[in-house]
Amino acid sequence: MVAVDRFIENFLDACDFEEPVEATADTELQSLPQWDSLAKLAVIVLFDTEYGKAITGEDLKTAVTVGDVFRLLGD
Amino acid sequence: MSLSTLSHVRFAGMATCVPRRIISNLEDCRPQIRGDRARLVRNIGIEFRRLCPEWQCFSDLALVAAEALLEKLQWRREDVDALIVVTQSPDYLIPATAIILQDRLGLSQATVAFDVNLGCSGYPFGINILGSMIAAGGVRKGLLLVGDRCARLEDPIFSDAGTATALEFDAAAPPMYFDLNSDGSGYRAIILPIGGHREPVGVQHLLPWREDENDHWHYKTELQLDGPAVLSFSTQRVPPAVEKLLAYANVAKEDVDYFIFHQANRMINETIRKKLGLPEARVPSTLRDFGNTSGASLPVTMTARIHAELAEGKKRLLLSGFGIGLSWGGAILELEGAAFPALIEA
Repeated sequence: MVAVDRFIENFLDACDFEEPVEATADTELQSLPQWDSLAKLAVIVLFDTEYGKAITGEDLKTAVTVGDVFRLLGD
Repeated sequence: MSLSTLSHVRFAGMATCVPRRIISNLEDCRPQIRGDRARLVRNIGIEFRRLCPEWQCFSDLALVAAEALLEKLQWRREDVDALIVVTQSPDYLIPATAIILQDRLGLSQATVAFDVNLGCSGYPFGINILGSMIAAGGVRKGLLLVGDRCARLEDPIFSDAGTATALEFDAAAPPMYFDLNSDGSGYRAIILPIGGHREPVGVQHLLPWREDENDHWHYKTELQLDGPAVLSFSTQRVPPAVEKLLAYANVAKEDVDYFIFHQANRMINETIRKKLGLPEARVPSTLRDFGNTSGASLPVTMTARIHAELAEGKKRLLLSGFGIGLSWGGAILELEGAAFPALIEA
């Protein structure tokens, strides 16, 4: 079971935002400063390399909050 | 087919030519997006690219590379039996660029010449096609010209290059192993949708249709690339394909001197490298200095990074190309005494 706090830390690292960003599971992705194509690619890579889980751009489109992205990890 | 072996084909040499003009992804862009460019460069790993001037085609670069290679090999032009061009940026939609180059290179009219429409995956396919003609008999010496003119100033990924590779018949040559694959269900992932017979260019395509996050307007006549789809395809398909090819050739990873991957972007290439557990030292990269040179990226990397090492002693290489099609292919080659002129600028 992956802890959500640890996941959010990895998520923010992967997105590599120019300015430090605080986020919780309830943070809306669209409110992040650079939730752009680069960040989305980085999150797909994070899932693959860190969690061994293949997700697609379509999966990410269904997510509204950071918590929704976390839940893409499944069980 | 997928897995196959070719015998009696020798890798005789390679030359690479890039345009002189160097574009910096950090500086050669509008001031308002410069702030974001540092983050972009850090993540895609591409800082500099090469851009052809208006008049220059891919074939002009490939011609210079081919001339240099013929000179280095001391091959007589009348001895070249085949000229295969792998490109998606031909001089004209028709006729084939290879046939025009037969004449420009002064090759015999008895030369078999044709184009192959493949992009980023194309290099192993080209080696296999020309190698098969040599292994079958008839063709003794052949040239393979691979590359594209795909760079645009505002697109931070693509870069221009033309390359030439020489193969020849040699009964004592070590076997070449191949794994070549196609998945047309993903054809929309990288596509130039307008200009073919499915949707010819019309006046409705001459206005921009989409503004991107960097305030740049795009036309339908430009290449369209679905980033997440390409990333997923590359990082999911390439590592198992490399493992499959190694097992088929009965070669351990430790026995490969260099793994040369298509230079897509740093995210894709690093994911593939880590999934395969390969050390950086044996995976040369030209992303930072030459960007994504489409089908030319394997020769560009071999020439720009390890041409001196490849010219001396015996080296075993695993080559892996992947991209538009969707298409992906690998080859395991053993090189010895091949000619490798230094990188040429023209």
